[in-house]
Amino acid sequence: MPSSIKDYDVIKRLAITAVRTLATVLVIGALLLAVHALWLRDQVEPVTRDGKVVADIVPVATDVAGLITQVCVHDNQTVQQGQVLLVVDPSRYTFALQQAQASLGNLRAELAQAIREDRRNRSMTNVVASEVIEQGQTKVEQLRMAVAQAVAARDLAQLNLDRTVIRAPVSGQVVNMTLRPGIYLTVGKAALALVDTPSLRVEGYFEETKLQRVHIGDPVSVQLMGVSGTIRGHVQSIASAIEDRERTGDEAKLANVNPAFTWVRLAQRIPVRVAIDKVPAGIRLVAGQTATVVVHSPGAKQDLLSW
Amino acid sequence: MLEELHVFGVYLPAALVWAVIAGVSAHMLRGLFQRWAWFKLFGPAGIFELALFALLWLGLTVGADAFFNQGL
Repeated sequence: MPSSIKDYDVIKRLAITAVRTLATVLVIGALLLAVHALWLRDQVEPVTRDGKVVADIVPVATDVAGLITQVCVHDNQTVQQGQVLLVVDPSRYTFALQQAQASLGNLRAELAQAIREDRRNRSMTNVVASEVIEQGQTKVEQLRMAVAQAVAARDLAQLNLDRTVIRAPVSGQVVNMTLRPGIYLTVGKAALALVDTPSLRVEGYFEETKLQRVHIGDPVSVQLMGVSGTIRGHVQSIASAIEDRERTGDEAKLANVNPAFTWVRLAQRIPVRVAIDKVPAGIRLVAGQTATVVVHSPGAKQDLLSW
Repeated sequence: MLEELHVFGVYLPAALVWAVIAGVSAHMLRGLFQRWAWFKLFGPAGIFELALFALLWLGLTVGADAFFNQGL
């Protein structure tokens, strides 16, 4: 075989090896770039699927016990602050007020009589013993205090009577309303829930690893599960503390730290509160809905090159 | 950004769906490319398939984000 052909084969093999090596390096480079971009997109960008529509819920409870005589609202009704929701049977409290008023009148009459007696005794110091005069003064003071006590009792009875009418503490929507006349309400037990609709917001539970890219005021887009259209908002606040799961016991007790430390750990979630700026027409917000929350940090580029 | 896909009543993370599509596509494309002689120039087929998978995954993600743009 001529040497020129041999040389040609060697050069060809070398060229193929060089091209393969170069191509392999390029392929590995492309692989690393793609993995890096995917990592940034899925692990670094402040995005979470773990978001919820949240509203402040006011559990409306009665301040006085009794039978419901009147239900003035129905389930899911929108109510204004101060609107009557329920009326508890006022009979018992009306009687209590009448009793307090009568008691007060009785004491006032006794006080008037005691004052007259005291005045008379003071005008006849020559014939009335000093001890009797002092007893009369004491009686007047005691009756004055008794009248003040009766006034307080009357006001309390009036307050109880007023509280038989249960009014909406905030404007909002009544939910889970199943009350009917005749049901007995006990003091302090929530009878129905009132959703404070102006407080509707979105809370995104962001992994702690993504939190450094979330800033107060950053624009936010929110996508509700199964709902087309994007809700606009902005980051209102970020929770300043969450519970430490590894440690139990309150401040006054010694720390009880969990000795089990897992090899595989998950990033904790920090609530980020998003104020809603604009809701597209046709989208109904319901507290509890699932939402995907995307924070658009103004400092970070949104295009592919930023990856 | 598209984060969730509705697949037969189940909401899946979009990244998972794109990864499955990219994986299947990369495997099929590798089989197709291996019929041609020039494919040997790309070095080990496994690395090529892996890179193809990552690039397809990235491409699907970027494409979906751009097409179903829900951002600002």
